[in-house]
Amino acid sequence: MIIDPAEKRKEVKKKLRKLEGLPTLPPVVQKLILMVEDERTSLNQIAEVIEKDQVITTKVLRLANSAFYGFPKKVSTVTQAMMLLGINVLKILIMTSSIFDIIHKEDVGLWEHSIGVAACSKIIAERLEIKETQEIATAGLLHDLGRVIEKVAFAEDYKNLIKLIQEGKDPLEAEKAVLGLDHAEIGAFIMTQWNIPERLIEAVLAHHNLQLTKKYKQEAAIIHLANFLVHARGYGETPYKSVPPLNSEVFKILKLSFPEIKEILFNLEPRLYELKFFTEELKRELV
Amino acid sequence: MQRLPLSFIRPGMRTYEEVLDSQGRVLCGKGIEITEEMLKRFQDLGVSYITVEGTPVKLPWEKSLDEELQALEERFKGVEDETLLQIKEIIKELLFEKFKIKE
Repeated sequence: MIIDPAEKRKEVKKKLRKLEGLPTLPPVVQKLILMVEDERTSLNQIAEVIEKDQVITTKVLRLANSAFYGFPKKVSTVTQAMMLLGINVLKILIMTSSIFDIIHKEDVGLWEHSIGVAACSKIIAERLEIKETQEIATAGLLHDLGRVIEKVAFAEDYKNLIKLIQEGKDPLEAEKAVLGLDHAEIGAFIMTQWNIPERLIEAVLAHHNLQLTKKYKQEAAIIHLANFLVHARGYGETPYKSVPPLNSEVFKILKLSFPEIKEILFNLEPRLYELKFFTEELKRELV
Repeated sequence: MQRLPLSFIRPGMRTYEEVLDSQGRVLCGKGIEITEEMLKRFQDLGVSYITVEGTPVKLPWEKSLDEELQALEERFKGVEDETLLQIKEIIKELLFEKFKIKE
């Protein structure tokens, strides 16, 4: 079977535009999107809408309390979560909750990798003292969203590309050969469809190729470095069996030296324990 | 070093990091031996996790130091780039530190 990557690319994008094969967004999301856009809505009104949905509230609070955001205080109400995470992040967590439900059930290795990168991105972002570090953690959480989408919505193609990787092909090249685009582009494409802020989209789009950034080079560099460090530490699993390439530009962009990398890794280690217990708790609930 | 939920903590374990309550306040410093009374206080004040020295609890998913070192070698097999190798050395240092028990 010969695939024309350019043709396939069009076909994939068409399917993505219609969100075919993806879990439908919870009804509360539609309402929230309208409310967030309406300047007259107060945060309390938004919190009220979310709180009416018990399932979503539980999920949001659990994510807000998990170690990848690392808030020292316990987040016990939606209003508190909104204050700490910001309405953008809260919206994203609600929108992606059904996708992450699938991922921790079907590919716990990728789930662990994603939350590991979220935690590491947050640690790096805090160190650099850049604004809205919880957005960077969320970009880390979503950086491999495209892989989840490949697995859920393009299951046949996904099998083929895994086969190519097992035969020794570079994972990004394998995706481009089978689907016409890679997981970074797929993830960013869906995030654009969902109206997620540009800062997060660019960080996800460029996490393997920093050249793709326009405005948010620093953000993309953080995710690129966090992705490498989590692989290097051996937390979670992705199609990369050995460490992925690291663009040494990140040290210049982020102005980080080796002693600082050491501190980041030493700070990350205890967080990884919390993440592991968090994942085990989710697993137990599935039984 | 292990970071464990409070229910795993037993008297006699030593803190590796400061212990914080649910409001983020410091309750106990590093390198302190945890007593029965402290443990009760931690429970009352809503502490969720404590980082302790060494690896006192056998966790089903946790690798031994030898297994960790071997897996690290496998992940970095064929890597020659100096920067990457320096990061590998940092991780090695982290692993030795993690499994170390202080006197």
